[in-house]
Amino acid sequence: MKKQVKVGMISFAHGHAFSYLEGLSKLPQAVVAGIAHPVRSEVEEALQQTGAAYYADYHDLLRTDIDAVIICSENVHHAQLTLDAARAGKHIMCEKPLGLSVAEMEEMISVCAEAGVQLMTAFPCRYLSAVVRAREAVINGEIGEIVAIKGTNRGTMPGGWFLDPALSGGGALLDHTVHVMDLMNWLMPNSKVAEVYAYANRIFHEDIQVEDAGMMHVKFDNGVFGVIDTSWSRSKSFPTWGDVTLEIVGTAGTISVDSMAQHNEWFIDKDGKGQYHFWGDSMDHLLVKSFIEALAENQPVPINGVDGLRSAEVALAGYQSVASGQPVKL
Amino acid sequence: MRIAIAGCGGMGRVHAGEFAQMPGVELVGVCDIEYHLAEELAAKTGASAFASYEEMMSAVKPDVVSLALPSYLHKEYACRSARLGVHVICEKPIALTAEDAREAMAVCKEHGVELFLGHVVRFFPEYVQIKEAVNAGTLGQMGVVHLKRVGSHPGTVREWYNDEAKSGGVIVDLMIHDIDFALWTLGEPKSVYTLRRTWAGSDYALITLVFHNGAVANLEGYWGDPGSFRTSAEFAGSGGIIRTDSEKSRSVIIRKSAQNAEGQRFAEIPESPSLHSPYYLELEHFITCLREHREPAVTPEDACRALIVANAARESAVTGQAVHFGHDFVREGQQ
Repeated sequence: MKKQVKVGMISFAHGHAFSYLEGLSKLPQAVVAGIAHPVRSEVEEALQQTGAAYYADYHDLLRTDIDAVIICSENVHHAQLTLDAARAGKHIMCEKPLGLSVAEMEEMISVCAEAGVQLMTAFPCRYLSAVVRAREAVINGEIGEIVAIKGTNRGTMPGGWFLDPALSGGGALLDHTVHVMDLMNWLMPNSKVAEVYAYANRIFHEDIQVEDAGMMHVKFDNGVFGVIDTSWSRSKSFPTWGDVTLEIVGTAGTISVDSMAQHNEWFIDKDGKGQYHFWGDSMDHLLVKSFIEALAENQPVPINGVDGLRSAEVALAGYQSVASGQPVKL
Repeated sequence: MRIAIAGCGGMGRVHAGEFAQMPGVELVGVCDIEYHLAEELAAKTGASAFASYEEMMSAVKPDVVSLALPSYLHKEYACRSARLGVHVICEKPIALTAEDAREAMAVCKEHGVELFLGHVVRFFPEYVQIKEAVNAGTLGQMGVVHLKRVGSHPGTVREWYNDEAKSGGVIVDLMIHDIDFALWTLGEPKSVYTLRRTWAGSDYALITLVFHNGAVANLEGYWGDPGSFRTSAEFAGSGGIIRTDSEKSRSVIIRKSAQNAEGQRFAEIPESPSLHSPYYLELEHFITCLREHREPAVTPEDACRALIVANAARESAVTGQAVHFGHDFVREGQQ
């Protein structure tokens, strides 16, 4: 019989907390023991559903006998929450981006290692079935060697604290570089990004303090190059929240991935616009499942802190390139 | 109006086919140094076939010549035609260098002939619709644009495409369509940055153009793609998004229950038919401009600017640096 994993959720600032919670609820070996969030009313429903104890102060949650925490705070708090959880002996799954500087991410990784706890970065896109299939085709050599990857992670402007640089650390370039960047890294685990060129601007929304348009370019040390559209460019009338696409060009073929293509088209009068409703596998559920299973079976988590660092450092370097107008070496 | 066509390869055949069905014009001559190509096209269109440009021009004395020649010959034959007093319709690119483009423009001007450039994307209705929406302000402030154009490598059919010095590669030959469209819709570029790799039978590039109006466009071009030729565009602005995709606009799909040698049990042929092809619309527009002394929808200056940007994109791929422009397509640090 597998061991049960007691999980505490720290902060519901990032909306993914709700889908991770739903994922946990479907896992027999996971128990949501506590929820820490400064505003109780915002998590009342989650508390009712799970029967979890409420903590206004996450320190109190960390003093309980939970095995692991899932951190979905504002980006700026990822590092402190991770350090505190690690020092309390709790395994961690942290929302992306892992941190807001290379130094703080390195500290997160080393403190977790010293404390003997695992640090996982939440990159659910690795669990998109279309991505999994594409990676399998790449590994099987179906398109030869990878030459280039063009990706998009276009989204809808998230609002709230995402627009406050003091809490988010940046706009669309940071928010939406990391998912596809991680997929590129995952497709080429033996290569690292060597150079970054980026463009960022605020175009789609008035009166916001962060960029909502971003174009990230990378060169890997193996000669492969890539570009990612990171923009919050989906309009209010767009039929879905956004996309995750990849065009993988190989020496002997190409692969096109449109992760959200598994949708039905809805035209409902009261909604006022046509909508795409996704019916594919739930990446958030599969992400949480892989975290819990790794802990239950005492295996390494599939996406670790170094993976989080490798993606976030690209986004951070992107801001230097935006400032200089030229590529920067990593 | 008497039309002659120089070059009976793929584009020459397209031009001939369109002129043959256009009222008010007469296709009088076609030439190719591979004479059998000229003969075949002449047989289809009723024009006279010639083995040389000189012979054709002196024999049929056209009002207009369509230059469907390899790119490295564009400037020379545009100038020669101008000196004969013949109006020129030239396939894109106008030339391979801005210097040559300007020379062709100057010689045409000096001899009082018009120079029309075949930037045919400006005549594709799905692209025209986007241009009109951008102009009308429907999309608000322009933000992020994607343009894609991929297909097989033309060098597998015509050797000269493989020589970058003769064709300019995928950027100058293929992506120049989308570069021109981006400049047409978004204005003057502020910077150009390119990622590119060429390998056996393949030429792949990603070009990012940043515009003075703050918009950014990423262009994907590929010679050597294993799939069918396809294009797509997405324009996202503060007011909304418009996208088009050739793969999604196949309005007719013919499925045949053929049993063939490969054991394939059916054939699927998607098409997107129109009353007139964009090439017809383009060539008819040029003829109308000649008749009515109007400025064409794409001017030689437009073609020259697209070439300047295309060559800057090639340069960026080599240096790894972004090329920055001031205004009027003048490179920063140059006057």
